[in-house]
Formats: sequence, structure tokens, C-alpha cells
Amino acid sequence: MKDGYADSVKRVFVIGLDSAPPELLFNRFFDDLPNIRRLLEKSVYGPMKSCIPAITIPAWMVMATGKSPGELGLYGFRHRKKGTYNDVWIAHSLMVKEKAVWDYLGEEGRRSILVGVPPSYPPRKLRGCMVGCFITPDAESDYTYPGELKREIERLVGEYIFDVVFRKDERGEVKKKIWEMTEKRFEVIRYLIENRAWDFFKFVEIGLDRVHHAFWKYFDETHHLHEPDSEYRDAIPDYYRLLDREIGKTLKLLDLDETAVMIVSDHGVKAMKGAFAINQWLIEEGLLRVRDGEIREGSRLEKLDVDWKNSTAWAWGGYYSRIFINVEGREPEGKVSSERFHEARDEIADLVKSIRGPDGEKWDTKVYYPEDIYPVARGDRPDMMVYLDNLSWRAAGTLGYETPYLEENDTGPDDAVHSEYGVFSLYMPGMEESRQAVTEIYDFAPTVLRLFGIEKEFRGRSIV
Amino acid sequence: MADEKKYTTVSIPKPLYEKIKARIEGTGFTSVSDYVTYVLREVLASLEEEEKEEVFSKEEEEKVKERLRALGYLD
Repeated sequence: MKDGYADSVKRVFVIGLDSAPPELLFNRFFDDLPNIRRLLEKSVYGPMKSCIPAITIPAWMVMATGKSPGELGLYGFRHRKKGTYNDVWIAHSLMVKEKAVWDYLGEEGRRSILVGVPPSYPPRKLRGCMVGCFITPDAESDYTYPGELKREIERLVGEYIFDVVFRKDERGEVKKKIWEMTEKRFEVIRYLIENRAWDFFKFVEIGLDRVHHAFWKYFDETHHLHEPDSEYRDAIPDYYRLLDREIGKTLKLLDLDETAVMIVSDHGVKAMKGAFAINQWLIEEGLLRVRDGEIREGSRLEKLDVDWKNSTAWAWGGYYSRIFINVEGREPEGKVSSERFHEARDEIADLVKSIRGPDGEKWDTKVYYPEDIYPVARGDRPDMMVYLDNLSWRAAGTLGYETPYLEENDTGPDDAVHSEYGVFSLYMPGMEESRQAVTEIYDFAPTVLRLFGIEKEFRGRSIV
Repeated sequence: MADEKKYTTVSIPKPLYEKIKARIEGTGFTSVSDYVTYVLREVLASLEEEEKEEVFSKEEEEKVKERLRALGYLD
């Protein structure tokens, strides 16, 4: 049985804001964003718990398919090629084998439009059309389905912008480019709303994530590197206002008497306390051995002469850390026998959990084993997934520092890390007031399908 | 449904069937279907393995990796 509001839904429009945290969107900036506020005042909304790992890839596809990263076989942007230590393959759209909501809708003859939902390069065929996400190599690539759509986009906005690299010191340039990217994206979105037939529309604006990372320390008074008088102090609130204006213009094109509107994010954001050089720590613990006498600061592990035969484990950095056990028969020069694997992994997990902060403070570190947290763990999974101090500390894969505790990120300026809760909101025609709800990322797919009267088995639940 | 059939039939040429039958004699495979299923799974798995690498050209892959590194996803 569908409830009253859901009955009048004919179309669903989804606003994806990469890394939008409930603390800012629903609280701190609530009164500064008139268009978003008006929508939320007639929505069910609240924090939405992300998946593990709470990272853009896989999170947006977990949301769209209702399947876990393990079922998708996607654990981040890169994956280790079997039988190698540090050769990687990069996640792309063809690796997603599970059906997404637009596939189910397509089977029922409904049309979808997707803009920038990661990973969406190469563009995949669907009933409807799509524009690729930020893993598209560049504007020369074929980034639309159908292919002709690319020319329409170019006529409309010139060179389309997929992403802006923020880890450099020319912040003014970064800011200008992010604003330009977002304005172009919304122009394309509004064009598609008006010029294409659709039942389901979803876009993801990556600019918000880039703005958070690039400008967090200027904005957050509690950040350890906060610069109170910076000219970029208002970059983050200004960007939220830009989003609000663009969303306002966009909502005007929708018939809110028959269109449900959702706002979602893949994860939240919080201040980065520092970066922890995880491989350097593994060396200090005697678990990883290198033959190099002196290690230059910032060296990558793959550039060093690792004594693999005598190494138990090695790690990758990132917003979360992946630790691999050097297993005999699985790795080229494995050390740990497969019989000892579980014991060795548990020992390392205990050590990782006991890591304390630079001042001896206790950390809230979390360690996950892929096969324990997913129904299945397909593909090239790590042996261990680690949230250092619950993601407040980034993991640095590089080494050669005086101490493993780094005040700043190892690979270019970055002031923010991910947090586990993103946002969810749902407006349905006829709603006159708001209601609070706490959801999980797994609830999105069943909720959207339910709005279209489709019932499928999912681990999440529909909130309507 | 519990009694829903989990298998379906596909056709292969008779000579191929005979060839496979002869080949699996004395091995751990108990039937031609068993063997065919095994081989097809292997082939599909290796195709999927290849797809991982073929999507980006070498040059494109470098471009994407460089950008992802600059964005903090490959530290």
C-alpha cells in the first residue's frame, strides 16, 4: 500500500551534493539558504548514514543500487591488481554489475536523466540519457549517452567542466574554476529538464566536496590550522549560497504538484586533525621492512626497495587506510602462510586500534574486515579497512618523516576529511510540513522505486 | 520461490559434447554440464578482468590517476 503523498508522485528529481553534511545544510546554513529551506520545510529529512567506506566511489553507486561495496566489488577509486603489491586499476562505470534504480525504471519503460553520478565514465546505455562524472579523462572524451548529446552541451556551455583539482596553493584560481564548473553544470541540468523526456532525474554536484576540502581551514574556527582573517573565510558559505540560487532556479522548472524532490549526499565532512604515515608506522612496528638506508621525506612505498620476503603487511593511504597482509601464494613474495592469515590479521588489527594520537590521546580507530561487514566481498578487496580516529586522521601512504604524525596532508593542501553521516531529504507533492528521519544510504533505492510503485528485495527499507 | 528451477538448458553441437565427454573422463568433473559451467565462468571472469584495464587508454589512465592523486584519492 502506498501512502497518500506517494500516490501523487509522477516524477522524481534528485539533487546530489557530494559530501554535504547535516550539520551545515540542516543547521548552521539553514536560514541562509531560502530555496533549500522552503523545500526542507515540506520534506522528510535528516542525517543519512553512509556505507563503509564513506567515499564518493563506491558510495554513490551503493545508493543507486542498494547493494553494499562488497557486492559491487568497489572499495574506493583504485583497486589492487591481483598478484601485485602496488599496481592499481581505477574504478569505472563498467565495473558496476548490479542494477541501479534507473535500470529497474528502464525495464518498466520509464526514462532517466543522469548528470555526473560517479562512476559514470565511460557513459553507459540506459533508457534516457546521461552526462559523465569527474572520472571522465577530459572534455575531448565521449562523455555522454547518447553520443550526440555532447555537441548539444558544448553549444550550450562551451567546454564542460568535470572537476577542479583543489590541492594547490593558488586558492583564488581554484575558487573561480569551481564556481564556473557549478554554473555550467546547472545550466546543463536545466536544459535537460526542459528538452528531454524524463521520469527520474539525478545529478551530483562534486563542487561542494572540492570547496570543503580546499577552504575548510579558513571557515572552521576549531581547525588546528585555522586562519581567521583570510580572504577565503566565506568561500564555503558563499558556495552554499550559490548552490541555493542555482537550485532555486532549477526548482522553478519543476511541477511540484507531481514531482518528488530529494536532496542526498554520499558522506559528510569534518575537520582533518592531521595525517598519519601508516607505512612508516608499520616499519616502526617491524611489520614492513625496506632496505633503503635513508628515506627521503614524502617517498612513495612503490619507489622504495621493500624487503617483501620479510614483510608482514603494507598499507595504502587516503581518507581511509587499506592494509594488506603479505600472504604466501597470494602475493609475489608472500611471508604469512594462509593458515596464519587470520591470526596475523587480528594481531595487526589490535595494534592499529591501540595507536594513540601525537599527545598520547586515545583515538577512536575502527577496523573492518570486508568479509565480516558485507554479505559477500567480491573483487579486489583489501584485507583490512581502517578509519584512523574515526576518519579524523587521514592515512598517508608516503613515508620518510621525522614522526608519523603530520600536521598537514602529505600530498598537497587539504583541510577536511569525510564523516560518516551525509544528508537525506524527500519532498512529496501535498506535504505541508517537515518531519525528521534518520536514514541509511541503503534506504535510497527502495524509497525511489516505491515512489514509482516498484517493490524489490533490498537490505534497506523504503521510508514511504 | 523454493522450487523455482535454478538451471536452464543451452544447446551445443553434438561433436563438441562428445569431445568434452571424452576429455573429462577420469577427472573431477562429474558431467559435461559441470565442465561447461566451469569453463564459461572462467572465461567470463577473465573477460571481466580485462575490462578493468581496457576502459582507459594508457594515456587516459595516467591523466585520470594524476587527477585522482591531486584530489587526494590515491595517497
